[in-house]
Amino acid sequence: MFSKIEIAFKWIGILLIVTFLNELNTRFLVKSLSIQSNGVYHFFVPIEFSIYTIIFATFINLKRWNKILILLVFLLVIIEILNTLFLQPIYVTNTNTMIIESVFLVLLSLILYIRIKESTYYKNLLLEGVFWFNSSILFYYAFNILVWGFHNWDFINPPLIMYDINAFLCGLMYLTFLFSIYLNFIQVRKLKN
Amino acid sequence: MTNRQIESIDVIVFIVAGILVILLMFGFILYFLISYKSKKRDYNLLEIQKKELDDQKKLLENTLSELRATQSQLIHSEKMASLGQLTAGIAHEIQNPLNFVNNFSDVSKELLTEMREDIKKNNIEDALELASDVVNNLDKIYFHGKKAESIVKGMLQHSRAAKGLLEKADINLLCDESIRLAYHGMKSKFMDFNVEITTIFAQNIPKIYIIPQDIGRVILNILSNAFYATIQKSKKISSDYKPNVTIKTLYDSSGVNVYIRDNGCGIPQEIKDKIFQPFFTTKISGQGTGLGLSICYDIINSHGGRISFESKEREFTEFNIFLPNKSNLVVKIPNNVV
Repeated sequence: MFSKIEIAFKWIGILLIVTFLNELNTRFLVKSLSIQSNGVYHFFVPIEFSIYTIIFATFINLKRWNKILILLVFLLVIIEILNTLFLQPIYVTNTNTMIIESVFLVLLSLILYIRIKESTYYKNLLLEGVFWFNSSILFYYAFNILVWGFHNWDFINPPLIMYDINAFLCGLMYLTFLFSIYLNFIQVRKLKN
Repeated sequence: MTNRQIESIDVIVFIVAGILVILLMFGFILYFLISYKSKKRDYNLLEIQKKELDDQKKLLENTLSELRATQSQLIHSEKMASLGQLTAGIAHEIQNPLNFVNNFSDVSKELLTEMREDIKKNNIEDALELASDVVNNLDKIYFHGKKAESIVKGMLQHSRAAKGLLEKADINLLCDESIRLAYHGMKSKFMDFNVEITTIFAQNIPKIYIIPQDIGRVILNILSNAFYATIQKSKKISSDYKPNVTIKTLYDSSGVNVYIRDNGCGIPQEIKDKIFQPFFTTKISGQGTGLGLSICYDIINSHGGRISFESKEREFTEFNIFLPNKSNLVVKIPNNVV
């Protein structure tokens, strides 16, 4: 199946695998070694964002946007370093970087919407993997800004329900990613037939 | 406020903000879906219109190619018509020398019979006299035979396709030939045709570089039109009308002017700007293709010259052909002439 989907969806698949491995790693650190997993996200967020930029670069498919996306990755890495050095050290969750990553992803999602609208290539958007992928990004990361913003604002005693909702939406987003890969698989198979 | 109260307020604030964000995102996605669908509908409509336009374009291209084929057929017909006119003129031209050849052959035969009798009777002096008469006759036969040959050559020149070969040619001679050809051509069509032809040829005209068969065609065409105009007028007005066509040549350092004037029916004001247009004709269906003057215009233009006219309805028409005297002239033959 993996070989029969478009390149952008292959990268979505890679992202899912990387995320899954990261989550396994954090569980292992917490459960088996009893080490705080916060530090892992200081590395994971830039890696995750880099994969997202590759996916968006493939979908947006404009040369000038490739440069902007590379610049955004560098910017996020620098922000992460500065954040770790001066604001949120390695043992604290890097929510500042997460918020900025979420803002970037929401913007990229909006740009991809514009590109989709410009192209008028798709017959039925509801059957397109790119639409579901992009919608889930917009939905989850817009909510993510709220969650981590709230977390930063109300740091001492944040409402626990927001983490549960966030985890639920995160799971929903990954399921939607899988659904978008499946839709693309169907589309490609249709085209080949 | 207790910590519990603060916490519950935080939860409410978060839930309200969360719902707002979710609604906002849903709203945006819904709006996007609707606007995309509407744009797609417009785009599909445009695609359909584009397809229709493409179909119409193809149809027009087919029509155009058909029109081009018809045009070339018409040009061919025009050429054939002009050739027919020429043939009629040439047939008459060739008839005279042939009559001479036949008559002198008959006379020579009789003279030779007489000469044989005289030789038998040993009447040498009479025989010698008859022999010199026969020689004179043979000279005349040769002369008229040559004349017929030159007419045939001229005909071949007219009928072959123009290849853009420039030659030094005598315009006066060309006009003279064209007058005779046009006259006899018209005479063969209209038996009661009669016209007074006046020629005023400038004697100082040098031979100029032209394609003689093309310029000959132009002069012939305009002369035929002039004759036709006089016929049309004589049909309309009383018997005291005297048809006249004048052909005049003039030379100055820049080139040669040929004026062809008739006192025929003239050209109405409203069609003056159309007469050089292809397929424009005032003749009844079947008598003209409407390409004659258009081809003339192209030929004269290709020689770097000008063709113009003056006309007054019911009084006269005068065409002026100007041909430049250029030794380095490069003639671009228009497509419809070949």
